[in-house]
Amino acid sequence: MIEIIVETIQQVIVVKPAGEIDASSAAVVQQKVLPLSVPGCKIILDMSGVAYMSSAGLRMLLSVYRQISGNKGRIVLVGLSEELKDTMSMTGFLDFFTVHDLLEAGLQSFS
Amino acid sequence: MEPLTVPGTLDSLTIIGQYVNAAAAAAGLDKKIAYRLRLAVDEIATNIIVHGYEEAGRAGDVLVRAALDQATLTITLEDTAIPYDPRNRLRPEHIDRPIEDRPIGGLGVYLTTESVDRFEYEYVGNRNRNIIIMNRPKGAGSPATG
Repeated sequence: MIEIIVETIQQVIVVKPAGEIDASSAAVVQQKVLPLSVPGCKIILDMSGVAYMSSAGLRMLLSVYRQISGNKGRIVLVGLSEELKDTMSMTGFLDFFTVHDLLEAGLQSFS
Repeated sequence: MEPLTVPGTLDSLTIIGQYVNAAAAAAGLDKKIAYRLRLAVDEIATNIIVHGYEEAGRAGDVLVRAALDQATLTITLEDTAIPYDPRNRLRPEHIDRPIEDRPIGGLGVYLTTESVDRFEYEYVGNRNRNIIIMNRPKGAGSPATG
């Protein structure tokens, strides 16, 4: 099970999933984020509530990234755990995304 | 630990994860190693369920078994889908390409083999058997219970 909170802070849409992202729940996150990726969107994915993510989560991130950048929007990831960073680093995803530890820093990166 | 048998559906991934976490705790694996083991098992189980069963239009179970000895924790996954050696799917050359240019998919097996100490596959008695082995920390070896 995964719960997803969406709020808007300083014109940035902050999406915060809470739970584990596996092949079952990754689709739920993707369905939540894709409709938000309108032209020029600014989206933060706050991962601080995600203690586990498999490659299904990586594929979800890639799909979301492609959609958002196709719409000339931007996505920033915040709150990644050490373990999620390890997985993203092993697969080349970490360098690809804009990543900040804290939500505040993520918000500042848009201003 | 008693083996676990679950239906080959994505809903089963959570309970498989809980089983592996319990086995990792019993083996005394540290947090990062336990996470990698759970990731590896989850990736293989996902492939079995998605490619072996769902996409093939087949139904079946996934059997998960944990076995401890002094030096290692072994997690074995068995299924009745068509014979499939995940090692054939490993394409490391994709990892060196920028992620925009990569085909989506194929990452799971890569993560599995990178995360564990040993990964083996065999086809025995009409069953796929994926074997994932993690070394236990020195001194954690209680008498074998698996």
